Amino acid sequence: MQAYLGVDVGSVSTNLVVINEDGKVLVDIYLRTAGQPIKVVQEGMRQVAEAVKDKKIEICGVGATGSARTLTGVIVGADTVKNEITAHAVAASHLVPDVQTVLEIGGQDSKIILLRDGVVVDFAMNTVCAAGTGSFLDHQAARLNIPIEEFGALALQSTNPVRIAGRCSVFAESDMIHKQQMGHPTPDIVAGLCDALVRNYLNNVGKGKEILPPVVFQGGVAANVGIRAAFEKELGLEIYIPEYFAVMGAIGAALLAKEATKEKQKTNFRGFAVSTTDYQASSFECKGCPNHCEIVNISADGQLLARWGGRCGKWDTVQQMKTG
Amino acid sequence: MRVGIPRTLSYFTFYPLWKPFFETLGAEVIVSPESNKELLDDGVRNTVTDACVPIKLFHGHVAALIDKVDILFMPRLVSLDGKSTLCPKFLGLPDMVKYSIAGLPEIIENRLDLKKGKMELYRFLYGIGRRFTANRLKIMHAIYRAKYNFANYRKLLFKGLTPVEAFACLEGGQEPSVQLIDGALKLAVVGYPYNLYDNFISIGLLTKLRRYGVQVVTPEMVPDKEMKRLSKKLRKNLFWYYSNQVVWAAIYYLEDKNLDGIIHLTAFGCGPDSMTNKIIELECKAKKVPFITVSIDEHTGEAGVETRVEAFVDLIKRKKGMV
Repeated sequence: MQAYLGVDVGSVSTNLVVINEDGKVLVDIYLRTAGQPIKVVQEGMRQVAEAVKDKKIEICGVGATGSARTLTGVIVGADTVKNEITAHAVAASHLVPDVQTVLEIGGQDSKIILLRDGVVVDFAMNTVCAAGTGSFLDHQAARLNIPIEEFGALALQSTNPVRIAGRCSVFAESDMIHKQQMGHPTPDIVAGLCDALVRNYLNNVGKGKEILPPVVFQGGVAANVGIRAAFEKELGLEIYIPEYFAVMGAIGAALLAKEATKEKQKTNFRGFAVSTTDYQASSFECKGCPNHCEIVNISADGQLLARWGGRCGKWDTVQQMKTG
Repeated sequence: MRVGIPRTLSYFTFYPLWKPFFETLGAEVIVSPESNKELLDDGVRNTVTDACVPIKLFHGHVAALIDKVDILFMPRLVSLDGKSTLCPKFLGLPDMVKYSIAGLPEIIENRLDLKKGKMELYRFLYGIGRRFTANRLKIMHAIYRAKYNFANYRKLLFKGLTPVEAFACLEGGQEPSVQLIDGALKLAVVGYPYNLYDNFISIGLLTKLRRYGVQVVTPEMVPDKEMKRLSKKLRKNLFWYYSNQVVWAAIYYLEDKNLDGIIHLTAFGCGPDSMTNKIIELECKAKKVPFITVSIDEHTGEAGVETRVEAFVDLIKRKKGMV
């Protein structure tokens, strides 16, 4: 069977999926990036190989996305390396064909994508602020000593959510500490945080956007029922969470890979052996000009695969050779 | 005498005016190097904390000129069209720099305020000329040559060249042909010239877009006549010169049916842009033209800009069925 692999390496999670020719998900894997993108991609590849072992599956195309997409693309040999906004939009419109609004909250960024008749008409991404993203929730859950998986359910127990300033994660944290020291029960504080995060998202990312149903909520944070409830309360609309909400970026990448390989009829996929290859990353500061660019070298089994990070073309030769 | 001109802020608007002016007066013009990380770091160290990144960068450019010039050209630009003024930071620029950086050479900080009348530009240039020569004719000659060169420069911009390309062209380089690729995306990139055309601070935005095969148009390419027409179109104009230029340019390009989108490049914390950005956003919305804001700051990480711009271009292409 012909299949396509999508890899989405974000700041918090790394997701891999295998889809078939019709775009049906055959394998989905969700791992924590834990600051080790190369290792976790290799681990993911090992798990994918394991899952497809007995099924006659041939990988005909690979797509990489997420903030580590360039790195991932080199490691797995991707046919297409695309930004996560495009990947998410492609996946959402594939799985929910009549979707009009996509809310996506990931580890370190959040975005909104508006589609009309299956076509993206508008999108926005959070600017430079981390308030209202998954890692902030993670951080607060850890501080309150609540496993992140139970965070949402706890918020639902609240009867009287407290008001928390959601504009800035630093202010939000001091607000939460203040409320906690005043004696407010934890569920109320957690629910207040969910409300604040949603308010912040809608005021910043969703500012002035026309949010029409069906609304799809995806990204790792969609696992949080508290946030979902807060969205439903704030928007007055039903929020649809797709089955594969946490790996939508990877699904999009796989779909894009299918598109990309349709024309050229071959794949750059390096095979599942990449999980055992010894990848090395090293970096140095170029002293060629006052820009002091930080150049990164990626090598496999001692051989230089790719190099990037420079503002001028001086160090790009290897990469160009690889991409043609 | 060596005159130092920082390669930022009004440089992109007026360099072809200043350069022949000073050279005809017998001075040697020295421009600070192209923006780079060291310059910016230097600027950040030397600037009041609340300033925006272009102002910080300006301080870096000034610092880079200190030992290389006898006199520093840092005019106080107040009004360039007789109506609006420049951003307050331009108005206070000579003072801000003087009290932030030690060991500066002599400074030319003459005030240019065209609200005082049409002859003000001559008075401004004449006043500067007197510092170099007592010969009246020589100054008049310098003014003539400056204006001639400046007019040629503007013509190149209207042909679709960016200021940096036009500078090279005026220095004797070949005029790059602005070729239109059939079916290419046409995007208007609007923002202040010192952000747009400084490849370092814009993180190579224009270069990137051209690499994606996009036809890029900018405010500097809009003819004066059109700007004047559009200045009467808004119910109320803004107070600031460059902001008005940006808004009018956006509206001008929105009249073009072939325009595929607008990118607004803004520096983090820019006061005037809080208005500018919103006006452009609303205009785009009314015309149903895709719009995105790219904000820049001291960061050198390209990822944010790269992701947004790539997605913007991708999604427009998908929408048009080009993929």
